Amino acid sequence: MTATEPRATVEEPRPAPHRARTTVLAWVTSTDHKRIGLLTLGTAVVLMISIGGLALTMRAQLAQPQLDVLSPDRYNQFFTMHGSGMIYLVMTPFAIGLGLYLVPLQIGAPNVAAPRTTMLGYWLYLGGAVTMLSGFATSSGAADHGWYAYPPLAGTRFTPGPGVDLWIAGVALAGTGMLLMAATVLWTALVKRTRGMTLLRMPVFSWSVVATNLMVIGAFPSLLVAMGILAAGRVNPAIFSDNTWNIGYQHVFWFFGHPVVYVMFFPFVGAVAEVLAVFGGRRYFGYKITVVSLLAFAALSMSVWGHHMFSTGQAENDYYSLTSILLLVPAGLEYFGFLATLLGGRLRFPTPMLFAVAFVPQFLIGGLTGIMIATPAVDYQVTDSYFIVGHWHYTLAAGSLFGFFAGFYYWFPKATGLLLRERIAKAHFWFWLVGTNATFLPMFWLGLHGMPRRIASYLPQDGFGTANLIATLGSGLLAIGTVLFVVDVVVSIVRPRRAPDDPWGGFTLEWATSSPPPPQNFDPAHPVPPIHSYAPLLDLRAGEGRA
Amino acid sequence: MDYRGVFDQVFGLQVWIAAGVFVLVTGLLLGALVLNRARRRDKLPFAAAEHNPLEITFAVFLGGAAAFLVWLSLSNNHRLDYGDTLAVAHQTGLAPGRQPVRVDVTAFQWCWSAAYPGSTTTVSGSCATPAARPVIVVPQGVPVEFALTSRDVVHAFWVPDLAVKRDAYPDHVNTLLMTFPETGQWLGRCSEYCGTYHKDMDFYVRAVPPAQYQAFVQTGALPAGAAT
Repeated sequence: MTATEPRATVEEPRPAPHRARTTVLAWVTSTDHKRIGLLTLGTAVVLMISIGGLALTMRAQLAQPQLDVLSPDRYNQFFTMHGSGMIYLVMTPFAIGLGLYLVPLQIGAPNVAAPRTTMLGYWLYLGGAVTMLSGFATSSGAADHGWYAYPPLAGTRFTPGPGVDLWIAGVALAGTGMLLMAATVLWTALVKRTRGMTLLRMPVFSWSVVATNLMVIGAFPSLLVAMGILAAGRVNPAIFSDNTWNIGYQHVFWFFGHPVVYVMFFPFVGAVAEVLAVFGGRRYFGYKITVVSLLAFAALSMSVWGHHMFSTGQAENDYYSLTSILLLVPAGLEYFGFLATLLGGRLRFPTPMLFAVAFVPQFLIGGLTGIMIATPAVDYQVTDSYFIVGHWHYTLAAGSLFGFFAGFYYWFPKATGLLLRERIAKAHFWFWLVGTNATFLPMFWLGLHGMPRRIASYLPQDGFGTANLIATLGSGLLAIGTVLFVVDVVVSIVRPRRAPDDPWGGFTLEWATSSPPPPQNFDPAHPVPPIHSYAPLLDLRAGEGRA
Repeated sequence: MDYRGVFDQVFGLQVWIAAGVFVLVTGLLLGALVLNRARRRDKLPFAAAEHNPLEITFAVFLGGAAAFLVWLSLSNNHRLDYGDTLAVAHQTGLAPGRQPVRVDVTAFQWCWSAAYPGSTTTVSGSCATPAARPVIVVPQGVPVEFALTSRDVVHAFWVPDLAVKRDAYPDHVNTLLMTFPETGQWLGRCSEYCGTYHKDMDFYVRAVPPAQYQAFVQTGALPAGAAT
């Protein structure tokens, strides 16, 4: 397809605008992608704060040797629900929900394709979240087998009690919900683009969502199969006496488990790219090569799962090391785009830009340590140690969450029509910048010095006390920053300041409509502008400048 | 095999490379933040939105870097006998007198036991306190093959100071071939989460001179005044 092709698909009729009802029932039965997207994102924010609270309690338990904040069993439940909650119920819904809200706007579509299926996806996600967490209400507590739930430990022989059953059902429900949502958003991007919006004029963010949702469709069915294996083992734990089922489960699980890592990363690469370009006052550098690298990255991601299994003695380590290290090529090209955009821009620094800029070096630490653990000779030492815990918290918390907050502060005025308070937002940023590094940097040292992951306490003679204390203090800063984030949102809603349609000077179609956008996204007062590139509003302003 | 030596070499090199990349990227980033503030600049430093020759050159460079890192990874994995998944095949390369000494290590919830083939000697413990940790005795200077398995769930045998780790599965035996060039005692841990008392599953590996090892295997105890 060439960039000059006039249109991608047939224009949809736009029904006459009507005022949307604002009752709870109207929200939970909505067929508006914006409402379903905001429900998904709002639910995930509430869960992020509560599941983050589990992590703070764990950090308190580990602050010093042999504390008794949590019993070993309770600690094990907390790390399981923290890890699985953040992955299945927070970061994945952030990634897919952000795409659901923004992609139809960015491509000039009136709505998501199959909105009822999308809403079903939200209900399944919500039901899954409630089911997973309800394990805490049972007498034996929530699931405590870790987020990847290896058998035989996750079988009824070693972990009886309903917590695990609820966990398996919840993960299957939430996973199915995310699969449905990702499928409808992908469908939207592929067939519901407006006149002039060719594939190679889609914004970088929308492309990142396309790549994300391709991975979801490739990987999430495997999660459902893995949950099926676990469910079979709950009924008949004898199957896990056979090694084939145990190692087989690991392969099936990680076939899902590695692509999902990039699901929780790509949309935030896209968000950071949009923010860097807009606050750099320039067209994003290297659009095409970024699109190609996202797609190559997504394709390669389906072949790397065995790098989680280097120490199993039952995986072809050379092959997975090869495919995993090759990921540095697309990742490096994405960084080329980030840096060139910054080097060629006139930079402004409102809060979204601060989070986007910090994302670049912080995620890089996660990426560089990722190459180390993709090397078996190194991984034999550091896997299942705190080095790994540090590695993925740099990618997910110091990386992806910074990308999420960049997007949150950037798009909040568009979604709500309200401005956030810059000073509180900037305080949130600085607490998080110091907090993430103070929390997660010491973990690399701890892992290299022999601290295994998932231990509920340690002895004074282990020598882990100081580094753990620093990490715990850092998590306190994260807690303060999160409180400021909540305060900012509450203050902005209680004492509203109206946001203009385009507070930042954005480049993409969502900034051409009202804040918040009308039910069908664009209306006669806010028509879809002409589209000649991936930055249509920038083209429009450049045209006006010349006239 | 010298896991620690290989780890130190590879990890050491990778840390230097990573530090260089991090300093370069962060340096460019900070330079842009300082020099490209909108207040300082009237117009864009450069307007181009792409530069295909530069991008392709960079992609080729990245491909070269990836090729080097893959070579580094694979060649060192081969030095470690592919992480020993192929240990049995490789043993045929060992001289007849250098066949490895086998030690059967079994993990269970929540401790370890060891048995010595051809002998009634066994090692076990409760792991409940540091004093109750099992001490797995091995000969110094001779190839040792740990045959790792589990009685219940998945565990992992990890000796951090020796940079070696392998998972222990029920219904499966993993092997781990290594040589202890010096006598000494090292702390080992379970690194695969295995239930309530995972945190307590610590043990020791103790390498003693071959003569003392022989005495240990025959009598079940180290001779008085054994090397530590």
